[in-house]
Amino acid sequence: MPPKIEIRGVSKTYVTGRGGVQALRGTNLKLDAGEFVSIVGPSGCGKSTLLYIVGGFLEADGDVLVEGRRVSGPGTERGVVFQEYALFPWLTVRGNIVYGLDEKAMAGAERDAIVARLIALIGLEGFEDRFPRELSGGMKQRVAIARTLACDPSILLLDEPLGALDAQTREIMQDELLRIWVDTRKTVLMVTHDVNEAVYLSNRICVMSARPGQIVEEFTVNLDRNKTREEIFLSDAFNKVRNEVWLSVRRQALAAAKADAP
Amino acid sequence: MAKAPSLISLRLRSIASILLLIAIWEIAGRAKLAPPILLPPFSVVAAQLWQSAADASLFVDLAISLMRAFAGLALAGVIGILLGMSMAHSRAANWLVDPIVALAFPSPKIAFLPVFVLWFGIESTSKILLVAFACVFPVIIGTYSAARAVSRIYFWSAASLGTGERRMLWKITLPACLPRVFATLRIALPVALITTFTAEMVAGGGGMGATLVYSQRFFESPTVFAYILVMLGIGLVLDAAMTALQRRWLIWAE
Amino acid sequence: MRPERTIAGAAGDAAWRVAPLVMLVALWQAASAAGLLNPAFAPSPRAIALALLDLLTGGEIGRNLLITLFRSFTGLALGAVAGIWLGLMMARSRVFNAYVAPIVGGTYSLPKSALIPLFALWFGIGSTTAICAVFLACLLPMVVNTAHGVTTTPRVLTWSAHALGTRERKMLTRIYLRHALPDIFTGLRIALGFSFVLAISSEMIASTSGIGKLVFMYGENGTYDYMFAAIVCIVIVAFLADRALLAIRRQALRWHESAAEGS
Repeated sequence: MPPKIEIRGVSKTYVTGRGGVQALRGTNLKLDAGEFVSIVGPSGCGKSTLLYIVGGFLEADGDVLVEGRRVSGPGTERGVVFQEYALFPWLTVRGNIVYGLDEKAMAGAERDAIVARLIALIGLEGFEDRFPRELSGGMKQRVAIARTLACDPSILLLDEPLGALDAQTREIMQDELLRIWVDTRKTVLMVTHDVNEAVYLSNRICVMSARPGQIVEEFTVNLDRNKTREEIFLSDAFNKVRNEVWLSVRRQALAAAKADAP
Repeated sequence: MAKAPSLISLRLRSIASILLLIAIWEIAGRAKLAPPILLPPFSVVAAQLWQSAADASLFVDLAISLMRAFAGLALAGVIGILLGMSMAHSRAANWLVDPIVALAFPSPKIAFLPVFVLWFGIESTSKILLVAFACVFPVIIGTYSAARAVSRIYFWSAASLGTGERRMLWKITLPACLPRVFATLRIALPVALITTFTAEMVAGGGGMGATLVYSQRFFESPTVFAYILVMLGIGLVLDAAMTALQRRWLIWAE
Repeated sequence: MRPERTIAGAAGDAAWRVAPLVMLVALWQAASAAGLLNPAFAPSPRAIALALLDLLTGGEIGRNLLITLFRSFTGLALGAVAGIWLGLMMARSRVFNAYVAPIVGGTYSLPKSALIPLFALWFGIGSTTAICAVFLACLLPMVVNTAHGVTTTPRVLTWSAHALGTRERKMLTRIYLRHALPDIFTGLRIALGFSFVLAISSEMIASTSGIGKLVFMYGENGTYDYMFAAIVCIVIVAFLADRALLAIRRQALRWHESAAEGS
């Protein structure tokens, strides 16, 4: 059975006035169905770029295959959640969540049922008719997730989804994400700069080198996620992995600094 | 540092200065500082205003002018939005329209009035088209820059939710641009009014401007002043109306 | 570092940009030649060009254009000076602002061309009327933009100046006006446009000279190719004036951040 997502030799160069900037060089990665994989690395290493390429928004050299078929553009089987939420400000909460379902020309009753279920899932009953500008950051992020889930994509691409939130909301949303993943068993590819978050949520972590980006190390995470957040964060198992990943990222960051130094 | 005046006292001062102006006007007019032909007292102007309103001549003129201004603005709005968005999406459209906009934008559109009169006569059609011509360029420019500023993550989100390339313009670009486009229309409104009044002053054909010039030619100065005041008032009222509309229709905008 | 731009490269760019206009004129000419257009309503580009040449050599356009430009620029200069001063005062004194703002704001809604008949009543037909109309029209954008530029002067700038011993009088010119310069230029560009509109409107309504009057007259007489020629002249002059202002602005604002991006 082919991997759910396969990234083969992906390279990306941005053409600028001064020649080119190579964001990615020969990146390789495989994800099996139901995995939660995080990509971490120093700033500017190209991890978001890789995600956008998998999403089909950017063109690149190399291959990206989803269930064995080449990706040639965006598709509803790959749902995306951006750091800046990207909620359509002219639509209400309901309008945003229903957006993808309208595109599929789904029948009214079925559509309403899905929307109701999702609003309950994210806990925003009573806010259906609010506009995004009336919502807090955490609420916006939840709506963004619900909007993506409405189309029931089998793959979730998360680009620093919690990056714009304050620390407390972040922790709450992390547990939400975990819960959703456990319930739905989707394949998740997440980009984050927060190592703790990566270890807490993923079952595999890939460390990317500095620009031009390549996957240089991988870590498997085997945590008992039935434990509470407190238990997990204070456990030795968690901290062992966390330290290793952190060290790896730090090494890459230092290498980047040295490369940039005159 | 002196204490900053409160909001109420600022408002009062504003009203005070307007009343002061009116008082000066009345006194100067009554004291015959200038011949009454040139400066009728405020009370005389007010009386004339009342008269024109009473015999409905004012309202007829106003209706004609406003109809022309709005028709022209609406036309400019539709064409301007379509062109502006096309230019943002299509390099070919941009190449074609850009030099025309660049050339026409700084030029005084009123200079084209004789052309429109030649082609469409002195009745409303020529004026509406001239107004549209005058207003379309700021709308194109405003729409174009608003469309270009639409963040790519909106397009990307829509694409991954199933929106096809063809429908992006209507589903994403248009609503995203709306606040800025509306602001542009708000700025274009005075342009529409000015162009209408001026065209009427130059070419006649009824409306506020025609009556204004007519009164001037016959030295009926109270009417001249009265009509100027009405134009001033209309401008204020319409701007306030547009602001209120913006708040209602674009309630979702930040 | 920006790539080097050769003269040839720049000329090539300009030609590419102008191409659609050239195409349109060529299309127009072809339609005229094919007899598709009624020469009474739409003279061919060739006829217009000939008329323009005639006007230029005969001095008609030169003379009238100068009169119009005199009216525009005088009104613009007066309006700019007064507007900058007013804007500065309004931005620096809340009391002054309170008294003056409603009057200034009120004029926003008034179409200045509506005052042309009034000025014609007061000053008769001629340059004074036109210059007054232009002056009033240019006032508002200058006031608003100058005030905006002054009020947005960052505190850290003014505090530094104070700390370095700048006296209040000098503050106005050395700090506030300098900071407001980009906004002032924005206002100037708008005012320039207005100056042409009002000057030409004035001439069409109440004048015996100027290029606006010329256009109007040719229209009345039915010599439409001359009318179009005069209009073409106006469009070109307005365009060039705008470009000239932009060039001046580029020079004057070399120190501004936006200049670094090569705008």
